[in-house]
Amino acid sequence: MNRVSIVSAALFGLAGMLSGSVGAQEVKQDAKSMLGNAKVAPVTQQQLNAADKSTTNFLLTNGNYAQTRFHPAKKIGRENVKNLHVAWIFQTDVKESLETSPIVVDGVMFVTTSFSHVYALDAKTGAQLWHYGHKMGPITTYCCGPNNRGVQVLGDLVYLATLDAKLVALNAKTGAVVWQSDIADPELGYSETMAPTVIKDKVLIGTNGGEYGIRGFVKAYDAKTGKLLWTFDTIPQNSVGVWATKDATGRDMHRNIQAEKDQLAKTGDPYQKLGGGVWQNPAVDLATNRIYFVVGNPSPDLDGSARPGDNLYTDSLVALDLDTGKYVCHLQYIAHDVWDLDAVSPAVLVDVKDKNGKTIPGVLHAGKTGHIYVHDRKDCSLIRFSEAMVPQENMWVLPTKEGARMLPGANGGVEWSPIATDPSQELAFAINLHQPMTYHVENSPYPNGKLWLGGAFKVIPSETQSGNITAVNYNTGKIKWQVKTPEPMIGGILATAGGLVFTGEGNGKFAAYNSSNGKELWSFRAGAGVNAPPSSYMVGDKQYIVVGAGGNTQIDFHRGNNIIAFTLN
Amino acid sequence: MRGKLDGLIPGVVALGAFLVVGASPAKAQSVAEKAEICAGCHGQDGKPIDKTIPVIWGQQLGYIYIQLRDFKRGDRKNEIMQPIASSMEKDDMLAIAEYFSNKPWPDLGQPSASKEVSSRALSANRSVGCTGCHLDHFQGDRTVPRLAGMNRDYMTKTIADFRTRARGNNPGMSDLMLATAPDDLAALVEYLAGL
Repeated sequence: MNRVSIVSAALFGLAGMLSGSVGAQEVKQDAKSMLGNAKVAPVTQQQLNAADKSTTNFLLTNGNYAQTRFHPAKKIGRENVKNLHVAWIFQTDVKESLETSPIVVDGVMFVTTSFSHVYALDAKTGAQLWHYGHKMGPITTYCCGPNNRGVQVLGDLVYLATLDAKLVALNAKTGAVVWQSDIADPELGYSETMAPTVIKDKVLIGTNGGEYGIRGFVKAYDAKTGKLLWTFDTIPQNSVGVWATKDATGRDMHRNIQAEKDQLAKTGDPYQKLGGGVWQNPAVDLATNRIYFVVGNPSPDLDGSARPGDNLYTDSLVALDLDTGKYVCHLQYIAHDVWDLDAVSPAVLVDVKDKNGKTIPGVLHAGKTGHIYVHDRKDCSLIRFSEAMVPQENMWVLPTKEGARMLPGANGGVEWSPIATDPSQELAFAINLHQPMTYHVENSPYPNGKLWLGGAFKVIPSETQSGNITAVNYNTGKIKWQVKTPEPMIGGILATAGGLVFTGEGNGKFAAYNSSNGKELWSFRAGAGVNAPPSSYMVGDKQYIVVGAGGNTQIDFHRGNNIIAFTLN
Repeated sequence: MRGKLDGLIPGVVALGAFLVVGASPAKAQSVAEKAEICAGCHGQDGKPIDKTIPVIWGQQLGYIYIQLRDFKRGDRKNEIMQPIASSMEKDDMLAIAEYFSNKPWPDLGQPSASKEVSSRALSANRSVGCTGCHLDHFQGDRTVPRLAGMNRDYMTKTIADFRTRARGNNPGMSDLMLATAPDDLAALVEYLAGL
């Protein structure tokens, strides 16, 4: 993940900055909690297991344990989506970057904001039922904005991970704290922005901190008590690997292997400060009891001189056994990454065709490189990778002091934004950034939990930036359609059984597209950047689409504080 | 400049002893009393007289704490602040940091940057991404400092110190400052001072 807020044309951002400090007073990050009374039935494990079939609910961050972001409701379809209108708008107290995935449980919605606030809302009216304002500790060390991407509910508890690296269980009815556990020390660079994944009485959580010299992990906590059950270090004690000279697509990465071996002999394995954050939810394979997730960049981001070896398991897909947290398999996309073109967008489980055309359980990941990678779920091996969704130039030129130009820029391709899929069409839908950048390298020792980039990524102001929405056939790797957007895209996308995809842009546009050909069928202007993944749900016989419009810190899109739900008459 | 700072050292040493004594329950000082000595440099009204000294009134709590911690560790060098911080424990640092963070940010009366300078500063921000950490309107958050309305001369000096790594407790900032052209940095200082 790239800590640098790199903006495109960002007219909104310019206007915002010029307006001075008035807007800043509207952030209200310390707004107080308000307990309430939400009539929400306990969520069972059976409900969660079958979340992919529920038209009523949206129970997990990416829709279901396979993380397909395909919602089966189809009241809103290609014919009538033009009539979509605002059902309600809820204004949160926090006017700052909004990356939440709304969770819906039988008519009650749970959304989060920057600075780790949670709101329970009536999903039909938008009325507030309760508000949890996390009492943040004085120390936070985070990258890319004070974001939070959502909660999950199991039983009568709502689970939240906070910017000051705590795991909190709230009473789903009232918003009161039931238990709280420390995940890691924020003074050493750990923070939480991802939503937890709750499965079989375990709460799974990764960590941010790849820009601060952490040692990354995925941890499992007891869902009832908050007690730590297991920890998987994303950086093994032997992080050296196989001295890979090519990336997963076969391109030479210009490593100086001898220099790295000399460094290894001198300073040993760098595993303790090697980064490897996990920014997004693991996918859960219920049949094999495995989880699949991707691991982020090594620390420091751009300077590889002090971290010899492949830097396992940074920039990798990793699978673990759910019960024990033990390693099952991995595939590294970029060994010894010095561009921060890491793996952030969450893994997705779908059936795919292998190289012989046989249908097998697969895993998808959309990379910052601009490729969608297709894996065999059995051993993580790579079956194919898609055509590049964004321009690629000068890969893999090494960063220099003066700055070396390479495309994609360090935000991707596909950033943390989750993809959506429609298995009936064999399509994966991804949103992309195109930001020409120069990569600069500097050398400095580990700074005790401070920012540790090892250089800088700089947008080239004179070059045009853009974005796109791309549909890829994951069984062929071919791009089926692509819609260009005027600005880089970050946030997420949703596919529905109505034959639609929904996604938003930093300029405030939120739109529906025909998922078969990319034709725009409806749009709305939210007034702030729509940089959050949409969700879908039903109340009675009405289908709703809901999305956050709060802009984005990382790309500096215009801030807002709106949760907007849409429906048909 | 150096002579001026040296002149303050006896008082600083005395403060160190003062804070240690103050830690005993029998002679417990309020945080406000402990913080009085800070006004000598950082200003009675939050406006430092020496313009190369930072504003700490209204500064982010976590940032003030981290700086005190780093002075004590020797990660940040300053002949006045290191003796002061060396006598403080974590709770003292957090208490002092909270005290100053709750004070109102002073208006230093620095003029707004011209349109041309603002435009250059915002272009530099878009390229290197200051607001990715310092957040919208450069207000900062917890361990990341507010820059809006900070002393112009302090920012100029700090950026120069980051570029030479004389300010050594945030190498990531040094990297970013080294990757940014001096003229762009000068524009950013003018712009930020005037916010």
